[in-house]
Amino acid sequence: MNRPWHLPEDLIERYVTGRLEPAQVLSVESHLARCEPCRAAVPYEREWLAASWERIEDLVDRPRARPVARLLRRFGVPGHVATLLVATPALARGWLVAVTAVTAFAVAAAHLVGRDPAAAFDGLLPFLVAAPVLPLAGIAVAYGPRVDPVHETQAATPLAGARVLLLRALAVLVTAMALTGAATPLLPGPPGLTTAWLLPALALTATTLALSTWFPPPVSAAVLIVAWLGAVLASTELAGDGLALFSPAAQVVYGLAVAALVPLVYLRRARFDPGESR
Amino acid sequence: MNATVAVRGLTKKYGRNLVLDGLTLEFGRGVTGLLGPNGAGKTTLLRSLATTLAPDGGEVRALGLDPADRGQRTDLRRRLGYLPQDPGFYPHFTLFELIEYVAILKEMTDRRERHREVRRVLEEVGLSDRAKTKVRKLSGGMKQRLALAQALLGEPDLLILDEPTVGLDPEQRMRFRALVSRLGENRTVLLSTHQTEDVAALCERVIVMKGGRAVFQGTPRELAAAASGRIWICDAPPGDSRLFWRTADGRYRVLGDPPPGASPATPTVEDGYLLVLGEPFGAAE
Repeated sequence: MNRPWHLPEDLIERYVTGRLEPAQVLSVESHLARCEPCRAAVPYEREWLAASWERIEDLVDRPRARPVARLLRRFGVPGHVATLLVATPALARGWLVAVTAVTAFAVAAAHLVGRDPAAAFDGLLPFLVAAPVLPLAGIAVAYGPRVDPVHETQAATPLAGARVLLLRALAVLVTAMALTGAATPLLPGPPGLTTAWLLPALALTATTLALSTWFPPPVSAAVLIVAWLGAVLASTELAGDGLALFSPAAQVVYGLAVAALVPLVYLRRARFDPGESR
Repeated sequence: MNATVAVRGLTKKYGRNLVLDGLTLEFGRGVTGLLGPNGAGKTTLLRSLATTLAPDGGEVRALGLDPADRGQRTDLRRRLGYLPQDPGFYPHFTLFELIEYVAILKEMTDRRERHREVRRVLEEVGLSDRAKTKVRKLSGGMKQRLALAQALLGEPDLLILDEPTVGLDPEQRMRFRALVSRLGENRTVLLSTHQTEDVAALCERVIVMKGGRAVFQGTPRELAAAASGRIWICDAPPGDSRLFWRTADGRYRVLGDPPPGASPATPTVEDGYLLVLGEPFGAAE
């Protein structure tokens, strides 16, 4: 039987100091993979090797970030926050499809009704009414034991409660407003009126969060959606002016409500924690 | 025993249903088993200790921390591993993604360290070769191992496991026992189970709950000893209301007063548990 061949010392030295041609490097490494005595003869730094191996292992094992997470990172959101947001149940496909469908329907309605110049403003009403409640529907299914399968596990972690809920609510709000905002230029009508949904949306979202410090978010959101639709109905039927809820005076009220409710939510944020006494 | 977890007069009501009724208990490092029938309040106790539920009254001290205090509750969560009774998952996530998500909730913000920890816990439960599999493709036993993996993140000082062996096959249960006994060497593990064999095999200490109270606290040996002089073997069924069953060798194992012609048998943890519960044969609690 032939004696096993080993790498000559000078070859090992030239390999270690990087003085070999690529083909020779491949040949040496192919031999090293099979020959333990030669591997032992190659000097190396233990810590460097461990760190290098870990980097390789990480590259091979870690999953490719989801498209939404990659997009968020591109906008400067830290990687771990992007991963947290991707798990938000409300940001799953169902809610996004629903928001897009409702927005598209409202835009189409505005154009259909708007053909009659006398009813142009009335045509905007479905859009203005629907846009503020879209974030509420998202917040209702963003956090809580009934809507999040991992809720009980995450309730026992340091980030439980306000941090996760508010982060998710913000993500839902931004997503809903981006989608609705993208549809706004497609609407017929003056810009002042087509963007009149913005402050009501912020006010209803802040009210939902404030109510959620007393009641579960789905209950708070459902109550507010019904109240909002009731107010629209009342102003249409009783006052005969559906757009009264979007008048400049009403916008001031929404702005004041946001200014008052945001600090309230902050002060009561501990109530979002499932481990907090009621 | 140096208690790492102490509970005093804990109460919790759901509507009119009193689930914890002034529960008082304590346990220290090592593996403690929690036994009790359905509705005894085990899961409510575990949720209170895991800080996912605020009790109505009483005191909890875990690792010297008071979960009723916000700051201490967060500190406790940093040192806690919790496997809930019904661990949920995001089915469209891979195993790696799901564990990484919980690792982020546990404040592991450094990506490289977090990934190292994710790989470590998946390796611990024997799922490292499935890291890129979607959760929805896992069997029930694998999901249970995945839930255990997230509880191990960050090497917690207090590990709370609610029925962790549900859905595991015998080989997986053996692996689980080996893992938990190793974990219990230098930390506090509380394990709720219906499997008295798990308690006998794993636990240094056992607590039996009934009706929201602890009706026994001691070692598994002491629990088995609670049935001393109350376990019998006879050739014919006793023919009354005593609890008995036919064993594999065709004889009858009887719990309670001795039937005529019966010989005493060595009690097990299960015998002790049944007698401590005091049902259905009227034995004293």
